[in-house]
Amino acid sequence: METVRLLEYEGKAIFQRYGIPVPRSELSMTAEEAAASAEEVGFPAVVKAQVLSGGRGKAGGIATVQTRAEARREAERVLKLRVSGELTRALLVEESVPHSDELYLSITLDRGRREFVALASRTGGVEVSSLPREAMAEVPVPLSGLSELCASSLATKVGLEGRTRAEFVSLVLDLEKLSREEECELAEINPVAVRDDGGVVALDSKVVLDDNAIFRHPEFSRIPPEDPLEGEAAANGFAFVRLEGGVAVVGNGAGLVLSTLDLVSDAGVKAACFLDLGGGAQRERVEAALRLVRRLPTAKAVLVNIFGGITRTTDVAEGLRDVLAEAPMAPVFARISGAEEEDARTILAGAGVPVFRNAQEAVRAVAAWVSR
Amino acid sequence: MTLEFPEEGAPVLVQGITGRYGSLHAGLMRAYGTRIAGGVTPGKGGQTVQGVPVYDTVREAVRATGAAASVLFVPAQSFLSAVEEAVEAGVKLLVAITEHVPIRDCLAAISTCEASGARVIGPNTPGVILPSERLKLGIMPAPSFREGGVALFSRSGTLMYEVADTLSRASIGQRVALGVGGDPLNCTTLTECLDWAARDDDVESVVVVGEIGGDAEERLARHITEIGFSKPVVGYIAGRSAPREKHMGHAGAIIYGDYGTADSKISALRAAGAKIAMTTSEIPSLVISGGS
Repeated sequence: METVRLLEYEGKAIFQRYGIPVPRSELSMTAEEAAASAEEVGFPAVVKAQVLSGGRGKAGGIATVQTRAEARREAERVLKLRVSGELTRALLVEESVPHSDELYLSITLDRGRREFVALASRTGGVEVSSLPREAMAEVPVPLSGLSELCASSLATKVGLEGRTRAEFVSLVLDLEKLSREEECELAEINPVAVRDDGGVVALDSKVVLDDNAIFRHPEFSRIPPEDPLEGEAAANGFAFVRLEGGVAVVGNGAGLVLSTLDLVSDAGVKAACFLDLGGGAQRERVEAALRLVRRLPTAKAVLVNIFGGITRTTDVAEGLRDVLAEAPMAPVFARISGAEEEDARTILAGAGVPVFRNAQEAVRAVAAWVSR
Repeated sequence: MTLEFPEEGAPVLVQGITGRYGSLHAGLMRAYGTRIAGGVTPGKGGQTVQGVPVYDTVREAVRATGAAASVLFVPAQSFLSAVEEAVEAGVKLLVAITEHVPIRDCLAAISTCEASGARVIGPNTPGVILPSERLKLGIMPAPSFREGGVALFSRSGTLMYEVADTLSRASIGQRVALGVGGDPLNCTTLTECLDWAARDDDVESVVVVGEIGGDAEERLARHITEIGFSKPVVGYIAGRSAPREKHMGHAGAIIYGDYGTADSKISALRAAGAKIAMTTSEIPSLVISGGS
């Protein structure tokens, strides 16, 4: 499923519009450009892989360089790097900011409490992920915006003083305004660098926009998913997540497909994908989904689990029959239940698809087939 | 304000009744026995859909029908204004089938409701059904549900149908089945549903169908302990095998780090005394043995 998560450089461009201080930087697409950019921002410079995945530093996606030659060499290396399987999309070459301290700041949705909160901590950087939530200072963020008083109380909770405190309070207010106006699900600065003179700079950005609010922000285009099949699924109106096993799992309804994945995993085999046709799927969508599954290289078998309610089981059966008639496909095992299930069974029997009464039986059969 | 459902035979509106989905389900709700007394679509007042009069505004529809409940099939862009209009007109219960609602519109709807004693179920919900009262406010397939004593609360639509169907085939009926919605935010929470189940004398046991993402099940578990909820609870959590950091179909079904895992939900519910079904097919036997 698509999410609108921005790359570091895109987030920092928005930061700048809201007056949030960021290091001087240039975006580069090649090693040669990166070398020139490093000279432009000055040495030492920092070459940073632009990826959406976390754990970039640990994976070697950030390098501090002292010379033009080193910049080119490191840029070449980082451009070939994959972070959690994700290929580097571009390089951000930044001035190095000497600093004595790193803080954490974010404006995020607290799902359980059903409100936005501003979270801050005295410790920033990679250690933040191991901090328990209780170790963070926080203030609730009203829909109408955060008052200076609240931002100030957050700075107090973090224990800041002097110039750092004053600049941090502005940072909180600016980031909150950005989060509200651009409708972010998460706006995070980690780390906030505290320079020797006490001033603050946003060294990184993590911005996740609210997908569903994009219609009010046409300037943000969705970053196409790296996996072309995920993009194709989104364009056709169904949800698809590629997994690593051999059984393609297809069903109607996110919860039903999730529960089927669990059954497959319990049977000791792995799923090749999560594919939710969605509620009330009609034939075209069913056919597009099955054609996509046919192109999944790891799929050795397909498990179709349909609970007919809003979705017509005969629509799914007819779509499946027609796609099977077009071209060969890995063997399909189906469980069909609900309205018109007898008609759907007849259609599938004609297409040579074994149909099972319940999901467990279908999973047993598909597991036996892939582990034979 | 506490969760309450309309009485049997009470008039109900459908906002967005002239759309394909709205008109289809207005007809199906009526066929089940719900008294769909009017529909609302701005600019389409005076028409009739499925034998139901259409009004331009909720105010006119409320004045003509006396309805205090409404089912919303409006587009996501109109969700917040439709909620505000209905609440201003005096509607007390709104069931929002609408999906893809922006987070801040959902938060605004929650505060609008809090300020005026109204309530939204959803968004992105299949709705709520009370078989003994022939009341269906939603899009669920009616044949899967039958009258009985289970209160079924679910974060997933299709799984709610599947579990109801499994229970019904085992001759275990439902007092109510309600989907809280698949989004990151639910205007009516599982915890509020549990409070209703505690008050309602006809509820004998509770079945909770959860999934990965968020902490609604953990909060529910704490609430079970805090209020000393005494009816048996059976829990099922979908997504034990799901990868992290991936939206699994529902916008709300995503694990970040250790937040939102099935393990966390299962152990929280267990600690609160709930019995956990590892598959949906185990649910009926756990409901039957629930009291012991």
